[in-house]
Amino acid sequence: MLQLMKASAGNRSVQRQERVAGVFVHGTLLFVGICSFVPFVMMILLSFKDMRQFQLERWILSFPLHWENYARAWSEVGRYLFNSVAIGLVTVAGVCLFGTLSAYALARFKFPGRELLYFAIIALLMVPGILTLVPTFVVILKLGLMNSWWGLWGPYIAGGQIMYIFIMRSFFASLPEALFESARIDGATELHIMTHIALPLSKSMVGTLAVLNLLNNWNEFVWPLMVVTDPQLMPITVGLYSFNHQFYTEYGPLFAGYVIASIPLIVLFSFASNLFVRGLTSGAIKM
Amino acid sequence: MDLPTKRLARYQTSQKSLWQRAASRKTAYLFLLPTMLLLLTFNYYPALSAIYHSFTMWNGFTEPTFIGIENYVEIFTDPVMKKASSNLIVLALWRMLITLTVPVLVAELIFSVKGKLLQHWYRLLFVIPLIVPRLVTYLLWQFIYEPNVGLLNSFLASVGLESWQQTWLGDPKIALYAFMFMGFPWVDGVAVLIYLAGLQAIPRDIYDAALIDGTNVVNRFFRIDLPLIMGQVKLMVILAIIGVLQGFEGQLVLTDGGPGYATTVPGLEMYKQAMEYNRMGFGSAVGVVLFTIILTLTLINNKYLKSDVEYSGT
Repeated sequence: MLQLMKASAGNRSVQRQERVAGVFVHGTLLFVGICSFVPFVMMILLSFKDMRQFQLERWILSFPLHWENYARAWSEVGRYLFNSVAIGLVTVAGVCLFGTLSAYALARFKFPGRELLYFAIIALLMVPGILTLVPTFVVILKLGLMNSWWGLWGPYIAGGQIMYIFIMRSFFASLPEALFESARIDGATELHIMTHIALPLSKSMVGTLAVLNLLNNWNEFVWPLMVVTDPQLMPITVGLYSFNHQFYTEYGPLFAGYVIASIPLIVLFSFASNLFVRGLTSGAIKM
Repeated sequence: MDLPTKRLARYQTSQKSLWQRAASRKTAYLFLLPTMLLLLTFNYYPALSAIYHSFTMWNGFTEPTFIGIENYVEIFTDPVMKKASSNLIVLALWRMLITLTVPVLVAELIFSVKGKLLQHWYRLLFVIPLIVPRLVTYLLWQFIYEPNVGLLNSFLASVGLESWQQTWLGDPKIALYAFMFMGFPWVDGVAVLIYLAGLQAIPRDIYDAALIDGTNVVNRFFRIDLPLIMGQVKLMVILAIIGVLQGFEGQLVLTDGGPGYATTVPGLEMYKQAMEYNRMGFGSAVGVVLFTIILTLTLINNKYLKSDVEYSGT
């Protein structure tokens, strides 16, 4: 009897421990999560305010909502947004195309110099952009690519494909050889095998890397600030920077501009967030 | 079949496979061609050019003048570079501390949540902030720190703590700390997911065994989880090192290295010297120094942070 009581008391204390642990877990997660959201919530709230509301009701949602802030911001940053989309999509397409070709060749072909080429590409993972920043700028000057998107596409695609090749090569190499052998016996060309067998099997990995790449080149700031000085061609980051000076005291349109700058990534993530989460949690990304 | 015919047959097949091999080689090189051309133009050539021109005085347009190690001497003696380096060390240590704590903690907590659906929502919660462009985050924090109408000071006023108000980024004594605090609570969604991937890959029976042995949570974390996610930890540490050593975007947007030189870093000085004074040679030299430091730290990280603890056994 005594033992039984002890056991149930023990059970109860285990239960209480678990409940305390649960409160701690969810409490911490929610606290951290909410804290990282506060700035963005404030950004949206402030984007709807006029000057009077900004002075008097800064912390709360206040009516009427001033949608015209968005119209004003859009007329300024709309073009930058389009520029960024064009720059980003071409970059991602280039990275995926050239990166896939190279990763596939390095993974599934045997040819002299394979190890050397692979090492030469991977060694670039160790070469930080800061080393090449100034000389690459001079290359762009000499090639006459200043104030043109080629001056962004070239270095973005060149740099973006390194990580892509690193991860996709090991992914392609892990696919079973039998699949490829049977296709080759059927007389399929390597290009056909790559597009019809290897790529469909690695869709989610390609998707994840594409999203990561888009995220990176969308956020590029220093390089386009150096290369693109024509307002017609600026991407959203650089455009927003000058917009920030222009609307320095008009907070409503200013924050509306920030929100607009986030829209493409919101659209992207609403389609690809599950894919992205799955790809990153698949465990392929580590050293 | 007599012997010569057999030999001929073997000769023919080897010929054919040789031809096939040559064709497949050609395809392989063709596949690699665009990548290599791009890398030669925008990576290999600039890297070598940086090393060469770091020993010259060069404006990027006219012929460089060879000046030996003068650029390097300037880097290691110039007081501004000294201040920039000490700021960089503080920022780097801080970033390492953050990378090794906050995302690991969040990943562990999400991992411990029971129920797949709830886990899914928590993961999403920490991924969503990624949709805000980094530049917008900087501009938002600029506004948070703004001394007159900024969120932080007006929040302090609204709770009656006017005496705590500061010109956060304008005061040389606190600007660097304000800069470090930016981004609170410093959760990086990508890092969380990568750590989480490591935790999920740990086989269940290890946990069952630990549970039977009565291992407590802290013990389990240091004895099981941490050694088994070392591969991820290494990657995140390297990425943090690389990021902080070459990053100067935040400074460029928020403080321009100021007030005075309170928040400047070598990367920013390099950018200014190259872009404002056309000192491409000096800029290259700063790049070479930062590259050497990054490479050394990466090699040390690879050597001393072991990730070869792996679960083996069936």
